[in-house]
Amino acid sequence: MAAKAEGPQARRFKKSQFRSHTRPAHWSAEETPIAARPDQLQARRWRRATQGTDEVALPSAKFAKYNVKVEVPIYDDETYEKHLTSTEWTREETDYLITTYREYNGKWPIIADRYEGPRSMEELKARFYHVSATIFGIRTPISGMTAPEFAHYDTLSTFDPAKETARKRLAEGHLQRRQDEVDEETVLLSELQRIMLHQVSLDSEREDLRRRLDHPQANTNGYQYSTSQSLTQLWQQLLAADRLKKNQRLRPTGNSNFDGLPGATPTSARPRDSISGMPGDRRQTRDSLPSATTAQSVLPVDLSKAELSRYGVLINQDKLPSGVTFASDRLSKPRIAKSTLQTDKIAAILTHAGVPELIPLPTPAVIEGFEGVMGKVHALLEMRKLAEKEEQEIRVRMAEAA
Amino acid sequence: MPAPTSKRIRNTQLRRHFIIGNESYVLPHPLFPDPPDGHTKGWKVYVRPLPNGPDMTTWLKKVQLKLHHTYANASRTIEAPGPFEVSETGYGEFGVEIRLYFAPESGEKAVYREHYLVLAPYGTDEQKARQERENLVVSERLETIEFNEPTHDFFKTMVSEDQFEWLKVLEGRGKGRKKELVFHGETEPTAQLPERPIAAVHGDSGTGMAAGGAWSRLYERQVLGQLQQSGASLDQALEHERREMESRRRKMEELGMAVAAK
Repeated sequence: MAAKAEGPQARRFKKSQFRSHTRPAHWSAEETPIAARPDQLQARRWRRATQGTDEVALPSAKFAKYNVKVEVPIYDDETYEKHLTSTEWTREETDYLITTYREYNGKWPIIADRYEGPRSMEELKARFYHVSATIFGIRTPISGMTAPEFAHYDTLSTFDPAKETARKRLAEGHLQRRQDEVDEETVLLSELQRIMLHQVSLDSEREDLRRRLDHPQANTNGYQYSTSQSLTQLWQQLLAADRLKKNQRLRPTGNSNFDGLPGATPTSARPRDSISGMPGDRRQTRDSLPSATTAQSVLPVDLSKAELSRYGVLINQDKLPSGVTFASDRLSKPRIAKSTLQTDKIAAILTHAGVPELIPLPTPAVIEGFEGVMGKVHALLEMRKLAEKEEQEIRVRMAEAA
Repeated sequence: MPAPTSKRIRNTQLRRHFIIGNESYVLPHPLFPDPPDGHTKGWKVYVRPLPNGPDMTTWLKKVQLKLHHTYANASRTIEAPGPFEVSETGYGEFGVEIRLYFAPESGEKAVYREHYLVLAPYGTDEQKARQERENLVVSERLETIEFNEPTHDFFKTMVSEDQFEWLKVLEGRGKGRKKELVFHGETEPTAQLPERPIAAVHGDSGTGMAAGGAWSRLYERQVLGQLQQSGASLDQALEHERREMESRRRKMEELGMAVAAK
């Protein structure tokens, strides 16, 4: 390179250091056939000549290595006659199939699409695999196959078109389903999983239940209550237990032979009550009339009649409410009815009859008297209601008769 | 929970009468010195036993009186034995909520009763005149409390003679003997109503009414008589209705025949 480092004058020559001092290359755009393709397609592209000459090389075939061809079973007529005949496939069609396969490089979707004929992809596949397997089996006998070869052979021969069709249809349906169906499926699957997991325990439970239904086994001996004495004892125990309960279900027979109660309580100095009775009193005969057990024997302190009255004790009352009640309520509650209209009617009748609004003395006699009055009030109300209805009825009939 | 209650006696009921009421005075009144401005009435609300009845504190241990919320300390609690009373001044009537707490042996929960505080004179003209004259308005109610199926312990306390001790007076019976509690008075103490109204024992005011003495069998008979009269008038009304029904039925039959004839 002639680089003269002189002043500004030297700049004129600087460009020259990048300039090629050789003559420009020759490029050609002639149409030439493509090497890698089997046909004579003429393609035009720019090709550079080699250095120093005008010769332009043909385009290289460096892409030829990508011309992969699939393996295809090859057979001659004899082999075909011997092994490959089929009721559904003619020789021509089989050949056509194989050619198509080779052409489209074994891509089944394309093969199926381009194939002329009503065959489905599964059918084509089935035929092709059958042919391949047979040829392969002829070439190398089965015993002589290596493991992968055998696996290959096996897959080819076990191709089931029906199953494949069904599977593909299922997959497509799977793709197309809606969200709620997906959810339902997940739920059902989890249920199934749960059931499977608990299969064992569920089975044992069912067995248990079945066993219990079939054959009840008593674990106590019922024969211990067979004698009359033990029966009496059982009765006494049950009666005693029942007496402690609030609602008695058993009624004592009144015969202390059976009930185990002593006849009369001892003095009031006794600290505990005699509910847990002593065994039956044998002196009494069986003919004694059954009488209801008196509650007097149940009181902790014996009281004479005068004392009962003095202390305000009432015994032998049936149907007592629980807890604390007030007698004056029984003078006020009956006056109130469910609707205010009814309440007013009742109040009107009472004032008309002269019953004061507030009765300040709720003794039992007064309560009784008041309840009697209330009964009459209710009867009066009923009759008045009936009277209205009958009046209405009469009016209707009068209109009819007129 | 505390230890389980002793067993209950079945088919048994204990009854006690007691009085809930209030007295009211027009101020100024000697009982109420220095009332605040604007208060026109002084009143006392109370829960009392019958004058000759057994002691209330046997079964009633505590009373809580809830006054109107405008009062300071609206909730007044009084424990046994003190007289279960609250005295206050005011100008308006309201409902006092009374909560009764029972003795623990009874094993019962507290109950509420209401009492309307009456301040103004009421009743017939004659009664009103009397109330104004005496400057005393009393509004009382006899309440009967019924203990159903009491426990054994409670029963024992309620039938012991000690309940009447508050009425008795300590008196000696001669030299050398111990003092004894003896009952003085006209009527024997009992839980039932007395025969006749009795004078107050713990003399509040002389009038038998306020001290609860008006509650007696006499009064009961009066009330019963009144109820019977009412019953009789109701019977008359029923008779009247029955006759009406008869006449209606006859009329319906006639009309029925008239319609059928058409």
